[in-house]
Amino acid sequence: MTYTQKRSVAGVLFLAPYALSFLAFILLPIVVSLTLSVMQFDMTAPHSTRFVGVHNYQEALNDDYFWQALKATFGYVILMVPGLIVTALGMALGLHGMARGRNTVRALLFLPGMLNVAVTGILWQWFYNGEFGLFNFILKRIGLNAVPWLSDKGHAMPSIVIMSLWWTLGGTSIVLLAALQQIPKQIFEAAVLDGATGPALLNKITLPMLRPVLLFVVVTNTIAGFQVFGQPFLLTRGGPELSTRGLVQYIYETAFNNYRLGYGAAMSWLLFAIVAVFALVQYRFLRRSTS
Amino acid sequence: MNAVLKRVNTVFMSLVACVFLSPIVLMILTSFKPEAEVLNPSSPIPKHWTLSNYQYLLGWSEEAPFGRWLLNSFFISTSVTLLVVLFSSMAAFAITRLRVPGGNVVLGIIVASMMVPGQLFLVPLYLMLSKLHWLDTPAALIVPATAGGFGVFMLSQFMRAIPEAIEEAALIDGCSPVGLYLNVSLPLCAPAVATLGIFTFVGSWNDFLGPLVFMDSVRSYTLPVGIALYQSSYYTEYGLTLATSVLATTPLVLVFMAFQRQIVESMSSTGLKD
Repeated sequence: MTYTQKRSVAGVLFLAPYALSFLAFILLPIVVSLTLSVMQFDMTAPHSTRFVGVHNYQEALNDDYFWQALKATFGYVILMVPGLIVTALGMALGLHGMARGRNTVRALLFLPGMLNVAVTGILWQWFYNGEFGLFNFILKRIGLNAVPWLSDKGHAMPSIVIMSLWWTLGGTSIVLLAALQQIPKQIFEAAVLDGATGPALLNKITLPMLRPVLLFVVVTNTIAGFQVFGQPFLLTRGGPELSTRGLVQYIYETAFNNYRLGYGAAMSWLLFAIVAVFALVQYRFLRRSTS
Repeated sequence: MNAVLKRVNTVFMSLVACVFLSPIVLMILTSFKPEAEVLNPSSPIPKHWTLSNYQYLLGWSEEAPFGRWLLNSFFISTSVTLLVVLFSSMAAFAITRLRVPGGNVVLGIIVASMMVPGQLFLVPLYLMLSKLHWLDTPAALIVPATAGGFGVFMLSQFMRAIPEAIEEAALIDGCSPVGLYLNVSLPLCAPAVATLGIFTFVGSWNDFLGPLVFMDSVRSYTLPVGIALYQSSYYTEYGLTLATSVLATTPLVLVFMAFQRQIVESMSSTGLKD
């Protein structure tokens, strides 16, 4: 064997463990999922398993619960993504302008992100509790009325978003801060010499220079937002009246409580399609406004 | 004027950091309260400090084997981390250094697969794992986790940056591919390998949906799922739940404090590569 041949054989052997895992647990599940999505496949009724074509997809489009779950998911994304971007940008600007102690504050902001979603949910369930919760205790102490944080339809999703902000703000702030630190100081100095002030600097220099990173942060957080599951599941179980049950939770319940795997798989693909379309549109839109 | 503004900003950001930290401090303080005091928030600091919550936790009760959940979490996260680092670094080495035929096409497929969101895999994996009789065993959470493409992608980028002259020198000295991998490529990639290891461990430790779907019996739960389900059925014992939360969080906070720089730096670079 020549040296090159030997190297190729070694290469195949080195690649093999990962490649096998990839074939078995990435490619095969995608194929299985596509197959399931065009089948009636109920684990509780194995004999009814059969090919049904696009029926599962049609069922989803005629399913009120599907639309309700989609609405809840949208509700989360619409509050969470702009809320996160604005607060994280504020935090990044604040961190950037700190005279000292920046690294400590940065670490403390990020710390909640290391908590598990279950721990976060348990902690905030106590804060939000109507009777003995911490927030209502404080509100009553200072003479205000108690707020139905999780038990009212209008309040539940904003409460979930507030918790999610606490949980994820640090990571996004770190990414934005890093981008801020990359902007050359000379640009600001030149603008200040020309008489530019705070708001103009932000609008004309900082935000345009941050565009690529903002694009990245908006798209990744939108994708993550559409897949929200743990926070509403733990805080409200999707209530009150299913108003906070998002698509992933509906898929989870369809597939693993009712064992309708075919329908669950079809809805997963619909969610994937929605996410892909949104990511693409945002990418196009924000890209264009850059140039 | 500017100096004053800067000072005000510093004070404000410090206050924000305190607000962010306060839920965690509150969690730790409350876990040392006796049950009667837990639901009385008028004093955040315990009037009577007690270890009873922690003592109960480390005893093995049938309905809530916290110690068992902790061990499950450690075993699963450690196994996942070791396997991911091993498989990913071997694959990256094969693609970038051994230049395996078609390696770049393979890398392209791996990167493309990273676009598919995780929730899509739940239903088919559940079916596959049930056919393999892996449901309710640690294998269900360990083996599929090794297929993620992030590690291969990241380490390939890193290994490409190593000057080839180093490796050619090693080869001329009679180094075998295994020796090259173990003694040259892997040590030179140590920072990237460490970053991958940290992210993999944290991700696995904090995974919620996976164990919720694939684990059935109370004994097989990981810590996060265990406490979440325990809390929803024994709502009253709040001090206990918070003590478990502290235990579930401590290993990660230690990891974070030890590798703070590394974590923050790799987070910072994620947005800049574009």
